[in-house]
Amino acid sequence: MKCHEYEAYMHEYLDEEISTEHEKNLKQHLQQCVSCQKHFHELSKTITLVKGMATVTAPDDFTSKVMNKLPKEKKKVGIQR
Amino acid sequence: MDAIIKKRINQVLKGDQNAYAEIVELYKDKVFQLCYRMLGNRHEAEDMAQEAFIRAYVNIASFNINLKFSTWLYRIATNLCIDRIRKKKPDFYLDAEVSGTDGLTMYSQIPSDTALPEEEVESMELQDIIQREISRLPEKYRSVIVLKYIEELSLNEISEILDMPLGTVKTRIHRGREALRQQLRNV
Repeated sequence: MKCHEYEAYMHEYLDEEISTEHEKNLKQHLQQCVSCQKHFHELSKTITLVKGMATVTAPDDFTSKVMNKLPKEKKKVGIQR
Repeated sequence: MDAIIKKRINQVLKGDQNAYAEIVELYKDKVFQLCYRMLGNRHEAEDMAQEAFIRAYVNIASFNINLKFSTWLYRIATNLCIDRIRKKKPDFYLDAEVSGTDGLTMYSQIPSDTALPEEEVESMELQDIIQREISRLPEKYRSVIVLKYIEELSLNEISEILDMPLGTVKTRIHRGREALRQQLRNV
């Protein structure tokens, strides 16, 4: 198997959809191949960095701004009996 | 949570506008965060997030009450952000100046395969670097990466939000991860 084929296994692993067999093959290959090891490490690091970004929250007046911009409720036409 | 949302939606449908405020309160941070990470700018994110809630309100009668409200809301917000990104970046004339960017051309907005120069990395805050690199991703990769790793949604839910087959979502996540890996190498 060529290295780029193991790349597909890496993504299966990251999506938590890897089969036991593929996982075994991937682990064996990573022990032998420094460049795939580096690739896999970089992918894992990327995910850690993105997931580790600070949570941002909406401005305090967000809800009132939205409520003020909503179209006005339609008045009921005619007299209800 | 779903039961509360359904109750509030029914109140809104009956004409009780105030019930909508509670829906906005529940989802405002998630929607704002989605827009912020997609657009990389607080002001634009606020505009788009507000617009998403206004559109959801106006179209609430067309929402299928048996579906998940957040999926529907995220779809509206994601589509608004994608439209905004597309409008900012014309498809043609890569060397033409992009309006309002003070001399930036389209070339400077294309994500490059090369990692950031190290001296540049050192002078920036880590959060800003990551946000900048997310913003350099093409919009089709950016949306899946933000939905998966910032909003922490499942692949199935992302496929519903983007109205796209699961296989396409997976391919885009793989390519997005590879692109970001290249860009964040030196960080």
